[in-house]
Amino acid sequence: MTTTAVALRATRRSRSLRSVTVTAALAAAAFALFVFTMMAGSMRLTAGEVIGSVLYLRDDPSVDFVVRGLRLPTAATACAVGLALGASGTIFQQLLRNPLASPDFVGITWGASLAAVTGIVVLQVGGLAVSGLALGGALLAAILMYLLAWRDGVSGYRFILIGIGVAVFFEGLIGYMLTRAHLFEARQAMHWMTGSVGQANGDELRLLVLALIVLLPLAMLLQRQLRALELGDDAARALGTRTEASRAALLAVAVTLVALAVAAAGPIVFVALVAGPIANRLLGPAGGGIPAAALAGAVLMLTADLVAVHLMPTPLPTGVVTGAVGAPYLLWLLATTNRQGAGG
Amino acid sequence: MRAWRTAVAVSVLSVALAGCGSGDTPGTSSGQSAAPAGPWTFTDGSGQVVKADKTPTRIIAHAGEAAALMSFGIKPVGIYADESVKTDPNLKNLDLTGIEILGEEWGKIDVEKAASLRPDLIVADWWPAEKAHSGLEEGVDEKSKKLAELAPVAGATQGKSILELANGYETLAKSLGAKVDDPKFAANKTRFDASVATFKQAVAAKPGLTVLAMSPADDKIYVANPEYAPELLDLQSFGLKVMNPDSPDKAFPYWENLSWENSDKYQPDLILWDGRAFKPDSNAEWGKKQPTWFKIKAAKENAVVAWPAYWMHTYGDFATELDKLTTAVKSANENIGS
Amino acid sequence: MTVTTIAPRRAAALVPGLAVLGAVLAVVAFLSVTQGSRDIGLSEVLRALGGLGDDGSTNSTVTLELRVPRTLLGILVGAALGVAGAVLQGVTRNPLADAGIMGVNSGAAVFVVFAITVLGVRGAGVYVWFAFAGAIAALVLVYAVASLGREGATPIKLALAGAAVTAGLGSMTTGIVMTNVDALNELRFWQVGSLAGRYAPILTGVAPFLIAGLVASLAFGRSLNGLALGEDVARGLGQRVGLTRAAAFGVVAVLAGASTAACGPIVFVGLVVPHVARFLCGPDYRWILPYSMLLAPIVLLVADVVGRLVVTPDELQVGVVLGLLGAPVFVGIVRFGRMSEA
Repeated sequence: MTTTAVALRATRRSRSLRSVTVTAALAAAAFALFVFTMMAGSMRLTAGEVIGSVLYLRDDPSVDFVVRGLRLPTAATACAVGLALGASGTIFQQLLRNPLASPDFVGITWGASLAAVTGIVVLQVGGLAVSGLALGGALLAAILMYLLAWRDGVSGYRFILIGIGVAVFFEGLIGYMLTRAHLFEARQAMHWMTGSVGQANGDELRLLVLALIVLLPLAMLLQRQLRALELGDDAARALGTRTEASRAALLAVAVTLVALAVAAAGPIVFVALVAGPIANRLLGPAGGGIPAAALAGAVLMLTADLVAVHLMPTPLPTGVVTGAVGAPYLLWLLATTNRQGAGG
Repeated sequence: MRAWRTAVAVSVLSVALAGCGSGDTPGTSSGQSAAPAGPWTFTDGSGQVVKADKTPTRIIAHAGEAAALMSFGIKPVGIYADESVKTDPNLKNLDLTGIEILGEEWGKIDVEKAASLRPDLIVADWWPAEKAHSGLEEGVDEKSKKLAELAPVAGATQGKSILELANGYETLAKSLGAKVDDPKFAANKTRFDASVATFKQAVAAKPGLTVLAMSPADDKIYVANPEYAPELLDLQSFGLKVMNPDSPDKAFPYWENLSWENSDKYQPDLILWDGRAFKPDSNAEWGKKQPTWFKIKAAKENAVVAWPAYWMHTYGDFATELDKLTTAVKSANENIGS
Repeated sequence: MTVTTIAPRRAAALVPGLAVLGAVLAVVAFLSVTQGSRDIGLSEVLRALGGLGDDGSTNSTVTLELRVPRTLLGILVGAALGVAGAVLQGVTRNPLADAGIMGVNSGAAVFVVFAITVLGVRGAGVYVWFAFAGAIAALVLVYAVASLGREGATPIKLALAGAAVTAGLGSMTTGIVMTNVDALNELRFWQVGSLAGRYAPILTGVAPFLIAGLVASLAFGRSLNGLALGEDVARGLGQRVGLTRAAAFGVVAVLAGASTAACGPIVFVGLVVPHVARFLCGPDYRWILPYSMLLAPIVLLVADVVGRLVVTPDELQVGVVLGLLGAPVFVGIVRFGRMSEA
């Protein structure tokens, strides 16, 4: 008895140690990339100049203009969008108990995108109105999906299939919007469809950051319930957790995060899908932590943006890079995970 | 978000024209020979008076606006365009050596590079409908908008008349110290006046001639609505009967969309063909591709001419294009369509 | 759609059913020739058809050179999509299998863009071939990935592999297109299915493939019935399952590839029509296939005629009409359909 308890406690301690170490390492990597993103560009800057300027420690108007005016908003958007996508992705995956379930694959991202593109092409609106539409579209898509997939509870399997159907439907309509648009407008709409961190304005970014500050801790609080859910519905019910209610709450947090991320940067695919699994691989037995997944998302986004903007012959939308890298990953996942039954 | 900067001109629904840059005489600079010391003022297309302590010399300009300034001998230090400067109709024949290219795609301006040029003026058209200058509208990269923080932005008003635009940039150039009356610059305007006169003459000689501005595409035919095309409005004011389509698309009133089944809805005597897609063999090509294209009698008779759609900024360009149109009008048969 | 017994309704009821569908198709085809965004009197249409010669009037040209080829194309493409869907659903034993969901469109698009930007190819007639190749490549890739692993190509694995391939190829397409305006302009009309603007030359280009594919597909009825009972049973009945699967996949690739090449992505016909056919004639694929072959063009032509009429003098793409119609059905199948959770 006592030896088991001691062993158990020791395991738990080593798990939480690993969890803290990994999370800290991811945070350090995200921070380093965050600073590095702001060093690169037509005007090369040192890390000291960047940090000094961001923290108002120096006064060099030309550096301040470039750092605070131009690069900080993009870097902050990439970071915030990555955090939001990483967190919401891992929530979806744990909630639906399927590593393939991420918001970009269950139609939510595309609902947001359709609403935004419609706003641009048909209503000819811009700015916060587009964000509002994106948010509305995402929430509507999520609610629609939840209602459609709800049959004796949300089955992860059915949820994903309906999500893909909804996504294809939305994409068809987006395609129609693009043919309605004239050439240069279509170009812009296409940019929006792929997702790019260069498009967010201050309002959208502030909204996203605010949501992260409120919702990330909330998500972590809810994680205890999430853990209970992971034991399976019966066990969770035995623990007295009202499974459907907490699922809905978690889903709402995840959907809001992803909607605001889409509002800020458009539908960036695959980050939400891969951030959680990457974090889990690093965490090992301590897997499932939302902060680690969120930070992994931020690292991915910052890296993708660096590649898209600085390594390509012409700067590309961030979503092109995440899509081109993420698709093979998903195919690999499909080919390998089904042995554990997770792929189907 | 007006991404179709070069694709379609933007409406100027009810903007009072009196307030536009064209009519203004700049404060202190008129008639002076060298770049005046300042202070400098200019009334922007938006109606705002732009001021500076000294006359700007380091100018960053949008493509067509840059061409307009260069036609008066003012060379910008940087240019941003909406497409490759090799294909932009405003820039493709200009010598751009020594000028930084800051962007070749709509919505994307390398503001970091722009900052390093230390500009003291940004020149860009004012678009009344979206209340923004070229390249700084809704929908461009957020970074691009920061261009406006580098220097004051000024320009003439878009959308109603090329003539007005050209006038506006003449005024601006003058305020910046250009000797616009110098024969080598004024020649363009003289040429333009002559072109307009011959054009009017040619049009007057064919009182029955009707023209239609069109852009055939794979799935349908687009018929331009002159209300939203400044150069077509100018042509109408010169007496040319540019037909107004009777039911422009409600969501996108720049065009009426005709299905190919309805290609013969309008029967003009001469077709103005969207210059962005027009090549010498376009008419024959479309006749072969779409069975109903030649149901437009003018197309069948090959009465087509390129329409300089939505890009011109200078007297010189307008004169050149007008001369081509004059030739087409002269050789047109005003009874084809009837 | 796990089926335990094959209980075909009597041929006595099903043969007249086919005849009725054939008659309906004839009526719809007649509508497609007589109705459109241009108002042409019935007598003029009949005169043009009767004379079978273009008398030079616009009405006769529209009838003979636009509407007749368009209708024929609609019939062939519709039949191809319906049959491709039925074969795909049968061979994968997956009620959600659909060429569109399995990445055909993205494959076609990326090949077309590649042709435009890298090879400098221009003209719809040439794009057809690239779209064709791209569609086939994507389909094969999706199926190959989904069939890896023990349990083979389950519904969700097919759908996800399709989504992954669509996203990956879509990224490539966007990446190329964002840097090349010409490609974007050409590509836009691949984004949504349309019968407009692509008639006679395209019809003659793809018709041989479509007809060959349709004829070949009819031979699959019996083997699909066997597969529906499960692989082991099929094997027990003496079928060569692997061979059947490969052949069926080849036929689907030809049908879906040629359809997409001709009209762009037209989704949901292939998904929905086989379900309607199954509802009408039971689980016997020997009947499902011909029923799908007649039902699908009816659906497609009706959608096309509706699209031509609702916004005259403009037209609405058939893909849009079908998308609006089809997505709820797709969701309904998942929501309410009896589906094995394998």
